[in-house]
Amino acid sequence: MVEQQSSQRQFPIRSVVDVVRARRSGLDIALKMGFHQAEANKVAVVISELGRNIELYAGEGLITVTTYAAGGGKYIEVVAEDEGPGIPDVDRVLAGGYTTSQGMGLGISGSRRLMDEFDIQSQVGKGTRVRAVKRLR
Amino acid sequence: MEEFEMDTFNELGSMGTSTIQKLENLLLVAVPRDLTDSEVLRLRRQVLQDVRRYRSRWVLLDFSRVDICDSFFGRFIQSTAKMASLMGADVVISGLQDAVIETMVDLGMTLPNIHAVLDLDDALALSRSDQRDVWQNDSLGLEDGSFDESEWEDSGSRESPFSNLTEV
Repeated sequence: MVEQQSSQRQFPIRSVVDVVRARRSGLDIALKMGFHQAEANKVAVVISELGRNIELYAGEGLITVTTYAAGGGKYIEVVAEDEGPGIPDVDRVLAGGYTTSQGMGLGISGSRRLMDEFDIQSQVGKGTRVRAVKRLR
Repeated sequence: MEEFEMDTFNELGSMGTSTIQKLENLLLVAVPRDLTDSEVLRLRRQVLQDVRRYRSRWVLLDFSRVDICDSFFGRFIQSTAKMASLMGADVVISGLQDAVIETMVDLGMTLPNIHAVLDLDDALALSRSDQRDVWQNDSLGLEDGSFDESEWEDSGSRESPFSNLTEV
């Protein structure tokens, strides 16, 4: 499948203020693409949850928002990367209800429900990369 | 005794003006959008302080300005309600946008024991039906606001103020 890359924006995450900025931009990008307010809202919340995890566990990292068209569809992709401590038990985090912080333990498990594609690559001591994709309907 | 006593105060730094207003026995909190975590905590502390300061029996968290609600924010709602209830105040919410609600529910965020009202009118109807205020009322002749057991018994039960709503 040939992907036509139309646009990409990167958001370095070092603080919650960066997270707030990134999710606001993500909301605007999704709305501009033609996503319904409720769908754009989900993308923004996913950016927020992933950004928070970066800030909380890794201290710093990067969120990349890419929009592209492929196979007749339009997509928005959120990638959150950090070189933090990694997730020892990805399955447990995906199952939900697991938290070490002040959240609700919904960040990862809930984000997965909000998107069409969701995958996590994580290595303890090396870092984490989360990729989430939503298709325009 | 129907006139509004509206009192605007406390600017919460970057959060803008008149975030919190006192309206009768109700503390009206217009929750701003794009709050950082420290601003969220500051807002919660301000709400609790004002509950004490104004003896507010009810806190209305109005979310009509909020267009992104993540799980941290959900926890803010829950914790504020829990803390306010320990002070003797009840928290109700209003104004959540449909797009926000859809995301919250899909995310799996549940807010048990949080009552929602449609708007300020409904919130006022609820707070005005609060029986706890009856024995403080001047019409009962309790000028010093002291507790009078006979008056309390006469004034009816302590049934939930929400009973009014469910009957409709």
